[in-house]
Amino acid sequence: MTSTETTAIVDGTRGGTALLTVDAVSKRYGKTQALSTVSVELGEGEILGLVGHNGAGKSTLVRLLAGREASDTGAIRVAGLPEGAAFTAAAAERAGIRMVYQELALCPDLTVAENAALSDRRPTGALWRRRAERRIQDTLDEVFPGHGISVLDRSGEMPMAQRQMVEIARALCTDRLRLLILDEPTESLGVDAAEALYRYLHRRTADGVSAVLVSHRMHEVVGHSDRILVMKDGSIVGQYPGGTTAESTLLAAMGGEVSTDTGTLERVEAELDDQEQPAAAREGAAVLALTDSRGRELTARPGEIIGLAGLAGQGQEGVLARLWAPGLLSRSVTVPSSRAYVPGDRQVSGIFPLWTVAENLTIAATRALGRFGFVSGARKRELASTWVDMLRVRGGAAAPITSLSGGNQQKVLIARAFAADAELVLLDDPFRGVDVATKNEIYTLMKAEARSGRTIVWYSTDNKEMAHCDRVYVFRAGRIVSEMPGSDATEQRIIADSFDETEGELR
Amino acid sequence: MTTALERPRGASALPGAATRIRTGAVQGSPAVLSIVAMIAIVILAAVIQPGVLSMNGITLMLTAAVPLVLATQAQMIIMAVGDIDLGVGALLGLVTVIAATVLTTSPALGLAMLAGIVVVYALLGFIIQRRGVPSIIITLGMSFVWLGLGLELLPTPGGQTPEWLSAIGQWRPELIPAPLVLIAVATVVAWLIARRSRFGTRLRALGSQPATLEKLGWSLVRTRMAAYAVAAVLLILAGLVMASQTRSGDVNSAGNFALMTIAAVILGGGNFAGGRAFPVGAAFGAITLGLITVLLSLVSLPSSFQSAAQGLIVLAVLAGRVITERFIRS
Repeated sequence: MTSTETTAIVDGTRGGTALLTVDAVSKRYGKTQALSTVSVELGEGEILGLVGHNGAGKSTLVRLLAGREASDTGAIRVAGLPEGAAFTAAAAERAGIRMVYQELALCPDLTVAENAALSDRRPTGALWRRRAERRIQDTLDEVFPGHGISVLDRSGEMPMAQRQMVEIARALCTDRLRLLILDEPTESLGVDAAEALYRYLHRRTADGVSAVLVSHRMHEVVGHSDRILVMKDGSIVGQYPGGTTAESTLLAAMGGEVSTDTGTLERVEAELDDQEQPAAAREGAAVLALTDSRGRELTARPGEIIGLAGLAGQGQEGVLARLWAPGLLSRSVTVPSSRAYVPGDRQVSGIFPLWTVAENLTIAATRALGRFGFVSGARKRELASTWVDMLRVRGGAAAPITSLSGGNQQKVLIARAFAADAELVLLDDPFRGVDVATKNEIYTLMKAEARSGRTIVWYSTDNKEMAHCDRVYVFRAGRIVSEMPGSDATEQRIIADSFDETEGELR
Repeated sequence: MTTALERPRGASALPGAATRIRTGAVQGSPAVLSIVAMIAIVILAAVIQPGVLSMNGITLMLTAAVPLVLATQAQMIIMAVGDIDLGVGALLGLVTVIAATVLTTSPALGLAMLAGIVVVYALLGFIIQRRGVPSIIITLGMSFVWLGLGLELLPTPGGQTPEWLSAIGQWRPELIPAPLVLIAVATVVAWLIARRSRFGTRLRALGSQPATLEKLGWSLVRTRMAAYAVAAVLLILAGLVMASQTRSGDVNSAGNFALMTIAAVILGGGNFAGGRAFPVGAAFGAITLGLITVLLSLVSLPSSFQSAAQGLIVLAVLAGRVITERFIRS
């Protein structure tokens, strides 16, 4: 599609004035063409949805919009900024453009208020601390009523959902907001918090603030955007009206498979058939047991996929942490001795940023690969290339991990856990920022691995995904409130169970 | 356009004083151990020699701790941005030498040299940030430079500090022991810089997650340079206080300070990873380390054993910190 055609289809700005114009912008990273002559016009008060698979160029485009990077060719013009001036991060900031980052950009050692003060350039004088606390608290109250966050808490010690709320509120702490860029804003949020965010977003757009919404959650993009642009391979391949477009139409435009990815299943199964396959033992004795504070028990047998569901941040991550590291003196937890864990926080505790894909993938398996403490290089390369081929990690085994897109990094982390040959695999929200096709590949992999006798315990913020489990436990305030087979685990049922108990306050 | 400052209806109040104190106590809990250790040492010393609790006793006991506290605050700032300064001891020695020689003979040149140290430190920050050189390497290298300069200026201990500087060392207020006043001032200043100022927030953000600071549009280079410059000023003050106490210069007078200050920061709740700064904890950590020496001389341990004993006590306290931290977290 040529740039003129792209420009021609991109104009629906409610008849108002354009706030921002992207004019035939291209961007290249090394060999990858991340964006090729993309043109977008964004009207005042408009919510623009942006969808596409991992690596389609969405993140690059929003980084350019925020002035974080300069385009190779083309220009970005913002109403009110002088013509021809360089569009830098500082210029974007002056123009009232704020961004909520997908990889949460909070300093873990600073308090909520200090984090907010870092990005809030309004002069505040000697009492800046008190004012920063006031501002972030008011913003949190306005966007997420009943958020339960103390502005004095260190952000690193808060659950993901609360960190995400702070990240959003921090971007809103400004007087001159004109464009809010939201990159996967609801990945870690529970349903009610996500709804609160969208309610707030619509209130602000009514006042003329514009927004760009990037999300893999199609129903949110469809439900809340005025206009949806579909990106593929660095170009805009389609424009659809918000509200009425069917999700399947968008998925088709993105070029993704809507149904289960049978290709991956076949590859994975062919791979597994080569190995000795222990009989599936779903009726065997429980290999895992954990008792919550009121004595309800969570168990799992070999070959089972167990889902931890409920609203975000209700103690599911704590259960994973206890299963991963039960400590020496805990009688309430029984776990197999070999375990693998995929952390939810990819950047902080997931990848080794200086290493290649192969090194990242095989680090947990070195015990199996090694002999007398020495790791055989050939066997390591072989293992890495097997998994890279099986999951189709773009870039190959020798690429530096940081050159991969977020979804492909996540594939490597999941492959690492399964390559470690552990009896129990723990997954903490493995689908943060992962597109539909990758999700299907990972589901398939999980099912195939479970079939070979592994136990998988899995937490997801998206309760719809729980249907893929054998059994689901719903959590509330750190406790198990119900247990159901995966076939019954609809989103409605999980939400109903999460609210079922009336005691205690709900965040 | 609504603004964040407009109070939405039903806005919750900011945390009250009780919550603030509780949060402060929990967040500052790693520093508690240094306070406990200090109290334990004071009690032990008082049991052996009741005289230490007198005005004179406290003054004598704490005099040596004043430069250590100042240098520890400087080390704390460097460690808050995620670095380590191994040149602290040699630099303090050089400052005492400058104070005992050039500062007396030609004060203007002396002050210019001290200002030069600040500039050099800012430059170190620049190089570390820009070129990615580990701070340990660059400060270790600089420690030899400081040592060489000091030996060049004053090959053997001696010299004479200016009158005004000696006067500070002789200052004895009637109601409070002088070292306590100096320690308190140094700690409050460091606390204002590292914990209360916006600059302090950036400082800890740099140590905590530099990518975030950069994303938000702050210059990492300028932040690190400023951190090093502030640390240099504190180190110079530490050196001047040290010279004022001995009234002479000796480039080797603070030989073990690099490791002592690092241990004091860790003892007081800091960490090697950066991002944290506990000025009060660091001060107590430094006092504790200073008092260990006093205690060991009170129990008349042979001086040949003193270093080993000091090291063992530091290890024991640090091990205690690991245990308490685990206890608090669970």
